[in-house]
Amino acid sequence: MTTRQITLSVRRMMHVSAVFQIALLILIWQAGEAVVHLLGLPVPGSVIGLFFVLGLLATGRINIVSLRSGAKFLLAEMLLFFIPAVLAVLDHREFLGLLGVKIFAVILVGATMVMIVTALAVDVSYRLMMRVGDRHARAH
Amino acid sequence: MPALIETILASIFWPAATIGIYLAARQVYRRHPSPWLSPLLVAPVLLIILALILKQSYTQYIHVTHWLVAMLGPATVAFAVPIYEQRATIRRYWPALAFGVVVGSTTAMVTAWGLASLLSIDGTLRLSLMARSFSTPFAMTVSKDIGGVPDLTAIFVVVTGVIGAALGDVLMNILPLKSAMARGALFGMGAHGAGVARANQIGREEGSIASLVMVLVGLVNVLFAPVLSILLR
Repeated sequence: MTTRQITLSVRRMMHVSAVFQIALLILIWQAGEAVVHLLGLPVPGSVIGLFFVLGLLATGRINIVSLRSGAKFLLAEMLLFFIPAVLAVLDHREFLGLLGVKIFAVILVGATMVMIVTALAVDVSYRLMMRVGDRHARAH
Repeated sequence: MPALIETILASIFWPAATIGIYLAARQVYRRHPSPWLSPLLVAPVLLIILALILKQSYTQYIHVTHWLVAMLGPATVAFAVPIYEQRATIRRYWPALAFGVVVGSTTAMVTAWGLASLLSIDGTLRLSLMARSFSTPFAMTVSKDIGGVPDLTAIFVVVTGVIGAALGDVLMNILPLKSAMARGALFGMGAHGAGVARANQIGREEGSIASLVMVLVGLVNVLFAPVLSILLR
């Protein structure tokens, strides 16, 4: 097999197999963690990995088809990855009483306010931008 | 060697139980999509009951299941794909997103501080609550910077995600939101990872906006945390 043939068959494999794509995403994440560790950055390695992939996609060094089905799988099953962390409550029985109810209230009311404020802020500014955009289009 | 067999069984049992219960909960949720039947609520409750029956501690449980949590790393990298696909929308409306991130983060910090003070929660617990709105790795960094306890923040982050993802469904239908961008920002800001997962089920644009907002919120707050720690002193 020539180098070209190998490159081509690797590329074909990457385009069809979600397993290979997930393996590549894990590899990039690990590389990101290594960079963070080496440079002592205050950012998670996965975010470095995210921007690295965005860079590769934007410069055309990687085709989006080589990542799409693997990424789709990981994102679709993301809720599963949160579940084990919730069991940490087993180690914090102090939250099962009044304190827990208070904290629950802070989070519930806080989250409601955060969501309402954020959604309205984005929606209002989005509509303003749309209107300005329309006016520009009409002026031209 | 029965001890060895026991270890092997334990390291297979909990991941299998976690995945099995998750898949079953997801199946139920698909048939009855109510926020109270969210897999993120049902599956942990069932697993906690199982752990209590089998007298297992969190340390024993997480020892064999931490690799599942670690998959959040590659999942975060995977968000490059939907973000790249939505690049035209993002490039056009980035001021709206940036405004949402700043307003949302401020609201998160102020409400956590205010509500905690109102219910006489103070000290490190109050500080640990302030970072709850950011996704885990960011939240733990911010919590440490402003004087909270990162481990406690990690729990509050998960609770925020569970409550927020369920709450988001309700709020989305009440608020007069015209844009998918606002719906995505609602989930990404209010319920980080869990919200993003939920937004992803609602729509492609919602999901990618939510993930972008989540990452931006985390970055902005990690950079802002040193300033905040001086303000809180």
